Amino acid sequence: MSMDKDPFDPNVDLWNECSERGADENDPPRSVADVLKAPEQVERENNAFLSKRAQGFSSQDPGATMYRALESSLLHSIFKTDVNRRKFLKGVGAATAASVIGSMVPFEALASMAKDAMSNIEKKDLTIGFVPITCATPIIAGHALGFYDKYGLNVDIIKTAGWAVARDKCMNGEYDASHLLAPMPAAMSMGLGSASQDWRMVTNVNTNGQAIVLANKHKDKQDPKDWKGFKFAVPFEYSMHNLLLRLYVAEHGIDPDKDIQIRVVPPPEMVANLRAENVDGYLAPDPFNQRAVYDGVGFIHKLTKEIWDQHPCCCFGISQKFIDENPNTFIVLLTAILDATYTAEMADQRERFAESMAPTNYLNQPEAVLKQILTGVYPDGLGNIKKVPDRISFMPYPTQSMGTWILSQLRRWDYIKSDVDYKSISDQIFLSAETEKNMKDMAAANSDLEWKDIPEVKYPVYDVYGKTYNPDAIQDYITSFDITRVQ
Amino acid sequence: MNRNNILAGVLSLVLLVVFLSVWQMLTTTTTHVAAATSMSPAEVETLTGKGMSGADVEAYSADGLTFDQIDQIAGLGLTRDEINSAGGIQSFGFTTGGAAEEAQTGFPSPTQVWREASEQIFNPFYDRGPNDKGIGIQLQYSLMRVMTGFVLAIIVAVPLGFLVGMSPLWNAAINPYVQVLKPISPLAWLPVALFLIKDSEQASIFVIFICSIWPMLINTAFGVANVKEDWLNIAKTLELSRMKTAFRVILPAAAPTILTGMRISIGIAWLVIVAAEMVIGGVGIGYYVWNEWNGLNLASMIFAIVVIGVVGLILDFALGQALRLIEYKE
Amino acid sequence: MSEYIVRADLLGKSFPGPKRGEENIVFESVNFRLKRGEFVTCIGHSGCGKSTILNILAGLEKPTSGGVLVDGKEVDGPGLDRAVVFQNHSLLPWLSAQDNVDFAVRAKWPEWTEKHVEEHSRRYLSLASLTEGLDRKPHALSGGMRQRVGIARAFALETEVLLMDEPFGALDALTRGSIQDELIKIWSDTRKTVFMITHDVDEAILLSDRIFLMTNGPKANIAEAVVVDIPRPRNRGDIIHYPGYYDIRNHIIDFLVQRSKELSGSVRTVPVEEIKTAGKLVYPPDVNPLNGAIENGSERKLA
Repeated sequence: MSMDKDPFDPNVDLWNECSERGADENDPPRSVADVLKAPEQVERENNAFLSKRAQGFSSQDPGATMYRALESSLLHSIFKTDVNRRKFLKGVGAATAASVIGSMVPFEALASMAKDAMSNIEKKDLTIGFVPITCATPIIAGHALGFYDKYGLNVDIIKTAGWAVARDKCMNGEYDASHLLAPMPAAMSMGLGSASQDWRMVTNVNTNGQAIVLANKHKDKQDPKDWKGFKFAVPFEYSMHNLLLRLYVAEHGIDPDKDIQIRVVPPPEMVANLRAENVDGYLAPDPFNQRAVYDGVGFIHKLTKEIWDQHPCCCFGISQKFIDENPNTFIVLLTAILDATYTAEMADQRERFAESMAPTNYLNQPEAVLKQILTGVYPDGLGNIKKVPDRISFMPYPTQSMGTWILSQLRRWDYIKSDVDYKSISDQIFLSAETEKNMKDMAAANSDLEWKDIPEVKYPVYDVYGKTYNPDAIQDYITSFDITRVQ
Repeated sequence: MNRNNILAGVLSLVLLVVFLSVWQMLTTTTTHVAAATSMSPAEVETLTGKGMSGADVEAYSADGLTFDQIDQIAGLGLTRDEINSAGGIQSFGFTTGGAAEEAQTGFPSPTQVWREASEQIFNPFYDRGPNDKGIGIQLQYSLMRVMTGFVLAIIVAVPLGFLVGMSPLWNAAINPYVQVLKPISPLAWLPVALFLIKDSEQASIFVIFICSIWPMLINTAFGVANVKEDWLNIAKTLELSRMKTAFRVILPAAAPTILTGMRISIGIAWLVIVAAEMVIGGVGIGYYVWNEWNGLNLASMIFAIVVIGVVGLILDFALGQALRLIEYKE
Repeated sequence: MSEYIVRADLLGKSFPGPKRGEENIVFESVNFRLKRGEFVTCIGHSGCGKSTILNILAGLEKPTSGGVLVDGKEVDGPGLDRAVVFQNHSLLPWLSAQDNVDFAVRAKWPEWTEKHVEEHSRRYLSLASLTEGLDRKPHALSGGMRQRVGIARAFALETEVLLMDEPFGALDALTRGSIQDELIKIWSDTRKTVFMITHDVDEAILLSDRIFLMTNGPKANIAEAVVVDIPRPRNRGDIIHYPGYYDIRNHIIDFLVQRSKELSGSVRTVPVEEIKTAGKLVYPPDVNPLNGAIENGSERKLA
């Protein structure tokens, strides 16, 4: 089991990522701790600390694995990569790290809260919706690999044909929770395009995982400058797909509204449209990118990871009503999803996850295609073999910066007609603020619990396609582009 | 059975065989296995120099990979295990005879369709979770929806049709609405129904209801309005009450027309349920088609298309038989 | 009980014409009476309104003026006191021969048991010489058989008055003959009052006690009522040998060929006395309104 790996162990690989990042792995850590302790001493202390932790751990105990899922989750949001995590752990020592991070985040309290919740589940039988794309891996594999069962939940996951139907079924109460596009819970809460109902984006289910695919006949047109007159497909207008495609072509001097055509096509129809030459290319979720290669109709021009590494994509949404009525179930469900998400992120789990999702009941795709996507070892359709382990990542912590970035692009392309208070809207879209508030409330009610803000997680600065995106200067960011609708 | 019928049957069979043969011929592609590439000793050395074992180099070149491709593998430091975890080199499309090659031929052959179909035909009621059920279960769900919506439509359309058919006043009052509502695509109702009813199951039943109702309403009204004057005169001279006239004279007289309306309705309902289920998902034959489409599994879709056709035929046949029971000759 | 079971007084029927204020008068001031147990036929060219008169008697149509009394009661719609045999059998095609008759019988006597109804129907069906194929639907019966069922249905209602609108019009001559015989038989057995429309002169003479001759429309009227005094029982074979047969026949044919046209529109006021008699033909006093047809004492002047 994945959870056998202790996230505080600096010697294990946890997350699926590029090896290039490990280039400086063996560089001596440049931290204060480095000066204080000799590496050998740290290692000794680490071993003692880790073996003590190992004694108290059993992967059969849902409470213990839940604890680990939470730890792993938090470590991921702080360190982002194994390399950073290892450096830190090797530098300051696992025990110190555990106590430092534990003082920031009340692991123990959260885990015991989750454990209490498990014995008081209000609603055991749940229905969760998903759209059959690899973005939903944690939700699907949560079922296929028994993550829900492990926490005592009896979950049915139901395949949904598209985003609009997913939204309607959520609002109708047919789904207790669902796989949604990141901005959808906010739209539902604000009543954009539907009746208003409070939905919460409780976690990202994936980052990256999309790609630009072009038809085989365009093999000689690798430069976006040659794309004038192309027809592109995206799965939804208000989606990262549309915004990333626009950003990408615009950076290459192509005006997405004038020089190319962008139309909305449901993901399953993309390959068929590409084959029929109805579109020249698309920016879509997997498996439909790799499937185009597999079926020999297109090639992968660029992974979205190469445009914005760790961009948000899909989320796990749940209604406020459900949370209010079933607080314990919610915590247990969230834990199960987090567990599945972090397990999905692990390199040695990718093949197993891919296999589990191939059957008709889940993604209904050839196993090989899913394996290529999840392991990140794949043919690109141009005769090359690529190795991009974090082609799709499962990193649940949503940040406000992601929300403001989406809004900045919506403003840039004139979907939003005037400037708005980006941060306050983003606070509604990405519920890290909400989560933070909930946790503070919990802390206020329980003197054992102490919650400390993690501001650097809330509005981090990102590098998006070679351009620094600072959420504190959104206005400047929007007007800094050569092609923009805002002067 | 007369000679003509036999001849027609034989001709039909011949057409089917010709069609299947042409289809099989067009979709059968000769799978040429790429010749093994030969490496010069210098090339082999380059590769082994990058940490790849000689055995691997040999295996890859035997699979038909070019030097450049093997060089990439070596350059990325990919082990044989890693390649296998990613589905194996066969699935990468560099070699031939693998899954990729079959997929590239595009359209499935009749034998492929039969392979998919036989799995479903011989085990139609399996249940491997909410998103993967046998074709029998899918049909059950679809037929249940169609029947429910259809019966509801009968309950509304027939009495309303009587009213409209018997009263020119009501006819004139209701007709404009019927004319406006009738041409609306049933699928256009779906989002509205989902929003109002807040239940996708009931919404799809509503869509069936709304598309079934018009042919029945129009035919009932027409049938009722066109009952022969003589028969109504009989009822009058026998001093039958309005209810008795309606049930004993008008209903049997208009029954064939009404049932013809139902026959049209069930045909439309069957068309619509497939489309509605493709949008709504969950379970049902339309969902099955959508799910196979999602997996780009043409063979299963062709099978499903045939099944949809056959079920449509059976529904039509059943109502045709019912029509024969109540049909009368003058 | 009055001698007359049916009285039609000053019946008129008109339709609005193509222009405003214009009227198409089909007939007006039609007066006649039918005696209890009498068999009366009505002959006239198409368009003279004879079917309309029958429908008015049946209550299926309303006259524009005048009215009809049946057994002293004014006709105000169809009713079970008058049975109708329609031009085209008008059997309900989804019911068998037996069921068609049962259907009518049950409507008249809803309290009867199933068995009683069936026996009653079967009796009248056999009077109409129908004993076999009673479970067949109308389309499986010959035209003659269908009309027999229609007649059986009408007689089975045991009404005092039977109205028949060209019941044999669609039948071939041979079939027509045999059904005429059956009609004579069933009428003789029941002695109901029959008012029948026909185009066939021989048929009229064979069946009738009196024959109404109608002038051509518009403004048609009953010009003469020919009394057929050929003794009963009659049959088709012997009747032509009766001495006065051809007088009657010739008179009627002469009327149809000549006078129905000449008199068209004029027969309204002719006193009975002025009508010339020919041979044994007699014109009874109730044909025309001048002879007290208006019993309510109205002093209607004739134009």
